[in-house]
Formats: sequence, structure tokens, C-alpha cells
Amino acid sequence: MTRYALGPIAALVLWELIARGLAGSFVLAPPSAIAVYLVENFGLIARALGVTLGNAAAGFVIGNCAAIALAACAIVWPRSDAAIRGAALLVFCLPLVATGPILRVVFGPGPWPQIVLAALAVYYTTLIPLLVGLRAVPSDWLDLLRSYGRGRFSALLHVRAMAALPYLVAGLQIAAPAAFLGAMVGEFTGAERGMGVLTIRAMRGMNVEMTWTLAAVATAVAMLGYWGIGAIAARMLQEDPPVILAAPAALKGGGLGTAAMVAFLVVLVWDVGLRLLDLNTFFAKGPLDVFDALALAPDARDTWSILLRALGETAVFLVPGYFAGLVLGALIAMLIVLVPSVAGTAMPIAIALRSVPIITTAPLVVLLMGRGAAGTMVLVAIMVFFPTLIACLHGLRQAPSRVMDVMNSYAAGPLQQLMRVRIPAMLPAFFAAARMNVPASVLAVTVVEWLATGNGIGSTMALSASVSDYDLLWSAVVIVSLLCVVGYGVVGLVERRVLRVYAPEQLA
Amino acid sequence: MTQVSKLTRRSVLATGAAALGATTLGQPAWAQAKANLQLSWLHSTQFAGSYIALKRGYYEGLEVALQQGGPNAPVEPPVVSGTALIGISAADYTAAAVQEGAPFKILGVAMQNNPFAIASLAGNPVNEPADLVGKRIGMALTNTPVLQALCTLNGVDINAIEIVPTQYSPQPLVAGDVDCLLCWATDLPVAMTIQGVDNVTMLMADYGYAVHSQTYIATEDSLTNRRADILALMAGEVKGWGDYRADTDAATQLTLDMFPDAGLDADTQRLQAARQVPLMFSELTDANGFGWWTDDTVAANIETLGLLGRTVTADLWDRSILEEIHGA
Amino acid sequence: MTVAVQCEGVAKTFGASVEAVSPIDLHLVAGQTTALVGPSGCGKSTLLRMIAGLEVPSAGTVLIGGAPPSQTLRDADLAVAFQDPSLLPWRSVRRNIELALDLARRPKRAEEIEQLIRLVGLEGFADARPAELSGGMRQRAAIARALSTQPALLLLDEPFGAVDELTRQQLAQDLPALWEARGTTTLLVTHSVSEAVMLSDRVIVLSPRPARIVADVTIDLPRPRRPEMARDPDFGQFTEHVFAALSKGVADTLPKAAQ
Repeated sequence: MTRYALGPIAALVLWELIARGLAGSFVLAPPSAIAVYLVENFGLIARALGVTLGNAAAGFVIGNCAAIALAACAIVWPRSDAAIRGAALLVFCLPLVATGPILRVVFGPGPWPQIVLAALAVYYTTLIPLLVGLRAVPSDWLDLLRSYGRGRFSALLHVRAMAALPYLVAGLQIAAPAAFLGAMVGEFTGAERGMGVLTIRAMRGMNVEMTWTLAAVATAVAMLGYWGIGAIAARMLQEDPPVILAAPAALKGGGLGTAAMVAFLVVLVWDVGLRLLDLNTFFAKGPLDVFDALALAPDARDTWSILLRALGETAVFLVPGYFAGLVLGALIAMLIVLVPSVAGTAMPIAIALRSVPIITTAPLVVLLMGRGAAGTMVLVAIMVFFPTLIACLHGLRQAPSRVMDVMNSYAAGPLQQLMRVRIPAMLPAFFAAARMNVPASVLAVTVVEWLATGNGIGSTMALSASVSDYDLLWSAVVIVSLLCVVGYGVVGLVERRVLRVYAPEQLA
Repeated sequence: MTQVSKLTRRSVLATGAAALGATTLGQPAWAQAKANLQLSWLHSTQFAGSYIALKRGYYEGLEVALQQGGPNAPVEPPVVSGTALIGISAADYTAAAVQEGAPFKILGVAMQNNPFAIASLAGNPVNEPADLVGKRIGMALTNTPVLQALCTLNGVDINAIEIVPTQYSPQPLVAGDVDCLLCWATDLPVAMTIQGVDNVTMLMADYGYAVHSQTYIATEDSLTNRRADILALMAGEVKGWGDYRADTDAATQLTLDMFPDAGLDADTQRLQAARQVPLMFSELTDANGFGWWTDDTVAANIETLGLLGRTVTADLWDRSILEEIHGA
Repeated sequence: MTVAVQCEGVAKTFGASVEAVSPIDLHLVAGQTTALVGPSGCGKSTLLRMIAGLEVPSAGTVLIGGAPPSQTLRDADLAVAFQDPSLLPWRSVRRNIELALDLARRPKRAEEIEQLIRLVGLEGFADARPAELSGGMRQRAAIARALSTQPALLLLDEPFGAVDELTRQQLAQDLPALWEARGTTTLLVTHSVSEAVMLSDRVIVLSPRPARIVADVTIDLPRPRRPEMARDPDFGQFTEHVFAALSKGVADTLPKAAQ
């Protein structure tokens, strides 16, 4: 117990000291000031928390139920699998800046935009591990069911569902902070009350105590969610929740055909959806409008130059931040394996960092790190770091015990074991994390650009909405989503090349 | 009659409806037309005139709901799609939307003077545009056209000013990273004053930057087909803002009471409410009534908007609603 | 109810060229226990899986009681004990057996389940999870599960691989009594010659891959067969006979493979 308390306490003390050192610069509030603010404004914060938590919980339930339903559909009807994965990735890549206002117009006042954004923030990170889990079933178990004359549905009900539970838990744990973040961002679309509303107020009012109190409360709630789900799962399951270990779907001859089908489907749903919702074409642009803006319109060249310049600015932050997060996650995981006592300090801090709602702290972190590229990169790296750490830890411990016995029998030291056995065993998990982190890092960078730095594609999207240039906004949404999917695919290709050497069984 | 124990919107509306019932002879409350007013930002004293109108039943015959704005809540989509009858915008944003094909008209101008200002610390003040030369200014790069317009209007070379891209926060100024900020006179300077930072603001409207702000916009379609509702809403606004001007502290108190969960700071709101008055009321409005404009102010707006790259004509402004209200 | 199994020209080729089973004609007599013996990897399990309807033959037909395996599957009238016990790890022994009864749409009778668990020597472990059992105990649980639905056709794929010698003898004595009494047609796949002789009425010897039948030996030893029987000269003759066939099958195949 003391081992686990030590790290957080040290972090708190350090935080207090730094904050006091920075007093008067209006960027960092010490824990003591947060405590005072919390006591003085308990009612305000509690009511806001209640509202946001309610919406986040509703979105959590809806998003995860949708993920479960989609995963079940993909299993019972395997032909739909590629389409479901593709469309799910694309929808997950949609930038919040763009979806928020549309949801507000569609749903009107009330909590629904917040709930839907929370649901959108969670469904993908549940769907992917769930699909892996539902398939991670020994074929003998399925033969057993078939030998009693039962089909896919029975298999789903009696075997796959239970076998996938640990994977579901892994997804739900990540979903808890994500749902809270989604609900807060949803409040930016004009919600009456909640933590997100207070966050905007605190940022504009230079109220540093309030900002950090909101961030601290939101972080605490998200961490409780993370741990709570883990604790419930530990009671229900005998094994630890596994980490997502799916190799990307093989790019066979049908790969391009499938991609074309998914693209066609998405464009169709987009077009028909806008018509069904009867949204005004002033702000709801269809696929043809975007094609027109990017290819046919007289100012298409200008649109491209704006987008490319913004994307260039974004890439400068995104790419180094993404790789820094990956490398850091893997390195700390290795450190924990070599020096297990580090985990006591590193893990709670890592979970806390991941749980901090990026929207509350992004502006402050950017202030704290200076207006250079550092702040944005740090935030992207934080988003990438935690899932990578968890995945790599799992992977490192995955090293086959018999091979480790062989290593021990030759008296190979921990470093030797790490280099020769554990790192190769870690690679599948590392790449799975790298792939999942592509959309997450894009989300982070666009939010930071939108709320804090004011450059890059995130800011371009926000600005284009404010000056009603919806052709540009939708074009940006399409390009960003496509780039996300392409990035995901590129990581997948590298992954397959590396795994072919180190973990061929993952590709079977 | 109705007990107003808590200042919720429902009870406020019920009061208004009951008051109305007396004049329209027993017309049931639920038969009232409904309309949404889309605000441009979070609830605060920035919209206190509307709260007064709502609370005191000034929107006669109309059940009005005030929709809060936010960083991800552009005003134009709900107005275009008819979700909101009227939106609070600004001439530059409205001009941009009209260029993109939105059929908007400006019906009223709440802020005669644009709230854009240059804020600086008292020890190193920017009192007039010429003081900007050689200074570092913190602003969003996207606002460069605004600074350019100010420089053009005042014969200042923009290349003599160092633009530092910052987020919308007073922090870089306080930390000494920049010498001044481009911001609204009613928010960041107020926050600094409340935090005890001695500061100076130079209102850009005083130096020729003429862009109507906090403008009431509606679609041409609504103006034709829901004219009575628009009249009722705008009449309520005129009355509400009249009360506001008479007692900004009372308006602030009402705001705080209506939105206890909004995290509003009483001192900040009181100061903001007071600072807003000279932006909203002028000799022009004293003579003609709240929200008014003349051909001259429109011409000045068209010129400044031109400097901002927005080409508009005078028929973007439609004064018929205000004429009907103030003429009566 | 008893059923006969008829395999006519059944063959299996994996991929383009890997021939696992050459065309085989095999008739399982209703109510008899037949053992399939062959060297490792010869395709015996593939043959069993084709009879179970889990694998579609590349050529030929399988008929169970005159109907295709899919019909038998639909009626849940067969049961397989797999090489791997395939117990669901989140269910206790009892609940694993109950799952089979549920899947086969058979009533769950508590005392019958208890009796089966006793029969396979797992008394006191009914509520244990598979992780708490040894490999042999898990295999016994899987056998109990296969027997629980009282199938007309019982397919056992190396069911005693991990079971210790003593328990194996005990099971070899007790289990046949059970399925004989019910008239179950049983197919046992094994690589142990003595186990095949001990348990079955007939032993089919397969050659190395691709499997073909090299001998069909009728074991007319009296039942019940006690463990002591293994020292009986008759028993020895049968095992020798089977063993010789097995060796010949291997010897005949090797030169071919060498070419």
C-alpha cells in the first residue's frame, strides 16, 4: 500500500512546489489552492459534475452497447466485418469541432449532443478489443458447439461472449475517461451547464484555481471509473484484462475492393443521412459539395493550399509527439519490467495523465511549456503514451515462460532477457497500440490547436465554422478522416512486416 | 397569481403568459408561439437585457427560450435551419455567412461600438494606434485582418508591429511575453482588473474600426413569415436592454440568480456589465432607441468590412422591425 | 437407438496438394466400439472430424444411420470428446456438463450428472473450475460431458492422452460398460495399440499420411474386460497382430515417401 501511495504523494509535493514557484504567472494552481477552491465552491462543482457525469454515463452505456451490437453483428455475419471496422474507424476519426455543431442543430437544446459525443468517444475503443476477444476462442470450443449441432449464434452466446469479457473490460476501462471527455466537449456546443461549461468560463476568466480544480475533479472521476471497472472485472474474471492484440486484417486481393465498398457505403450514408435529417445545405455539406469544393470550384486551388499549409503545421506537432509517446510508453514499460518497484510510482501517474480531460488542461499546458511546439507535442505524447505503456507491459510479460527458463538456465541477465526474448514478445502489443493511437493522437492535436495554439488544421476547422466557410470545414473533415485511415493503414503495413519475422502466429 | 418562488424559466414564462392572458382574454398559455434566441456565447451579463426581458415578461405573446452559445456552437446554423428565430452575431460574421449564401438580415445592433480593443499594462500603455509601433502584440493569427484594418484606418505601418501568436488569454501579457493584446474590452481586461493587474484598454471603435457587434440576425424567410414573432422578440429586447441600462447591478444580480450553475464571478460580471454600457448606448440610440443605426454608420461598417475582405451592401441591414417598434 | 456409420470413398485434401486421407471405405457397425489406430499425424483425427460433420470431405460421402452428418448434428445425436478437453474455463465441471445438455436440448437431471462425475472419478470436483484440475482430470470431465447427452454416436479422439495409467485402466473397464448398455456406436481414435484392443470390438489400422486402411482386426475377447486381461495370451496375440499391421503400414509407406 505504501509503495503505491509514495508516487502520488511525491508528485503532489512536487506539483505544490512548482506551482508556488510559478505564483503570479497564472498558469498552475497548487494542490492546496485547489482544495480551498473545492471546499468554497463545492455546490457549484458538485452540480456541474452531476450533469456531466450523467451525460457521460448515458453516452458510455449507449456507445458501449453500440460497440457490443456491432461486434456481435460482425461475428454472426462475418461478411459485414470489414465494412463495420472501416466505417467505425472513419466515424471515430471525425473531428469533434465539426460534429458538435451539427449534433446541436439535429438534437436542439438539451443533453443529446453531449451524450452522443460521449458515445462517439467510446464506441471504437470498445469495439476493437471486443472483436479481438470474440475471435480469441480456441477452435476446439467452437467444434464442441458444432458437434451439438449449434451455429454461430450459440457460439456467440455460450462461448465467445464469455471469452471476450476480459477484452470488453479492457475496452470499458479506456472508455471511462473518454466518455467524460466526450461529454465535456459536447458541452462546448452550447450546453446549459456542466464541467465543460465551467471550463470555458474558467479559461476566459483567467481563473487558474477554477481551471485546475475542474481538471483535478474530472481526472479523479475518470480514474475512479477506470479503477472501478477494473475492480468489478477483477471480481468477475479470473484473469487480468488482456490488451488489444489484433493484427490488422490481411490486405489480400480483396483489400482494395473492401476499401472501395466501405468508402461507397460511407458516402452513401453521409448523403442519405443529410437528406433524411433535412439539414440546411448552408452548413451541412454533402459528398458532392466537398468534391466540388476540392476539385471543380474555381477556388479549389486556394482550398487545397489552405488545407495543405494547415496540415503541414499540424504534422510538425503531431508526428514527433506521436513517436515520442510511443517510444516513451515502450521505454517505461521496459523500465518497469527491469525495475519492478518503478511501477508503484509510474502507474498511478500514468493513469492520471491519461484521465486528465485534455480540454481543461490543453491551454494551460501550452502556456506552461511555452508557445513553441513543445506544448502541443507534450499533449499528443501524453495521449499516446498511456495506451502504449499498458500494451507494452502486457506484451513484455507475455514472453513464453519456457523460453525464459532456457534463458535462465544459461544465466542470462535481465537485460539479455529483455533484448532477446521480451522485446520480440512485446512487438505485437506495441504495434496494436501504435495503430489504435493514430486516431487518438489526431484527436489530441486538433483539440489542442483548436483550443490553445490557434494554428494547424484544428484551428482551421474551428475558424472556418466561425466564418461560415462550411465547404472548407467539411473538406477538412474529409481530408483529416482519410489521413487518419491512411495513417492507420501505414502502421498496419509496417506491423505486418515486422510481425512476419517476430510473431508470425499473430498473422495467421 | 403565479408564485415565483424560484427563478426558473418555466415559472418566468408562466408569469408572462398569465400577464398576457389578461390582455388576450383567456387565451391559454400553451397556445403561445415559441421562439429560440441563439446567443453567441455562454450565459453572462453580456446578454443580461434578454434575461430581464424574459423574467419581466417583455416578450409579449411569445414563449422565448434563450440558447446558450459556446466555443463549438456557431450561431449561423441554428438560425439558417430555423431552430432559432433570431441569433446574436456580429456584422463581420454575418457578412461572411451571407457571402456563403446565408439569407441573413441584420435587424438590430446591440453593440454600436465594436468591443475589440488593445489591452496593455499600465506601466507600458498603448493609448492610441501610433503607440503600437515597435510593440509586440499577442493575438490569434486569424485576427491579423482586424489589426491590418486598424493600421490602415490610422496610417500605422503594420510591419512595425511584431505579431506574436497567442491563445485568447491575458497570461502572455501578464508574463511579459508581449506588450499588448488584441481582445474584447469586456473580457480579458475585466479579468485582469479583477485579478488586480493594472491595465489600459484602447477601444478600436474609437479609432475608426466600425463593425457592428452583437447584432440581431434573422433569415429573410423568417422576416416575411414570422414577422409578428420577430417583432415581439425584438420589442422585448428593446425593453429589456432599457431596464439593463438603468441599473446594471440589478441586471447582474438577475444574471447570477438565473444561472447559479454557470460559475459566474459576481465582481467580474458587475464590472463587465458596467463596461458594456458605453459600447451599447450612444447619442444615436438616445435619440432613436436601442439597436438603431443610420446610413452613415452602415457606410462606415461597409468600409471597415471591406478592409476585412468582406464585400457587403447596405441592404444587409433591415431597419423595418426597429422602425415599427420605436415608431409606435 | 443404435446407428451404423458408412463412409464411402471418403477423402480429404488440405489446400492444393496435402492429402490427409486417401479414399477410404469404412463401416461402423451399430452398437459396436471401433478403434482407429495409426501413427501420429496419419489423418485419424481428420477422419473422425469428417464423421462428426466438423470437416467436409473432399470426396466421398459419410452417412450416419443413413443420413448425412449434418442431420445427426441437428438432432444433437452425436458427441465428441476432443483431444483437448475444451472445457469452458469459466464453468465448473458440473456446469460444463450442463452446457452440453443445454446445447443438445436434453433435460438436466442432477443425479445423472452426479453419477457420471462419479463414474469418471471426479467425485468431489463437480464444482471445481477446469483450472483447478490436472490435465487427466480435465480429460475425464470432457468424457463425462460427451457421455451426458446419451448420444447414438460417440466419437472419442485420444481421450486418455493425459490420464494416468491406473485411472486409464479403471476407465477402460467402466466406460465401455456404460456405452454398451446404451447401444452407443463408438469410434475411438488412439495411437495406443493396447488401449485399442482393450476397449474395442474391432480395430482399424491406418497407414501414415495419407491414411488408408491397412488392417481390420476383429477383437473377439469376452466382456467385461478386466485390466488383468492385458497379460492374457489372447490379448497379446491381438496386440501383436495390430502392431504388425501398423509396422507394415509404416514400412510400405516409407519407401514411397522417400522417392
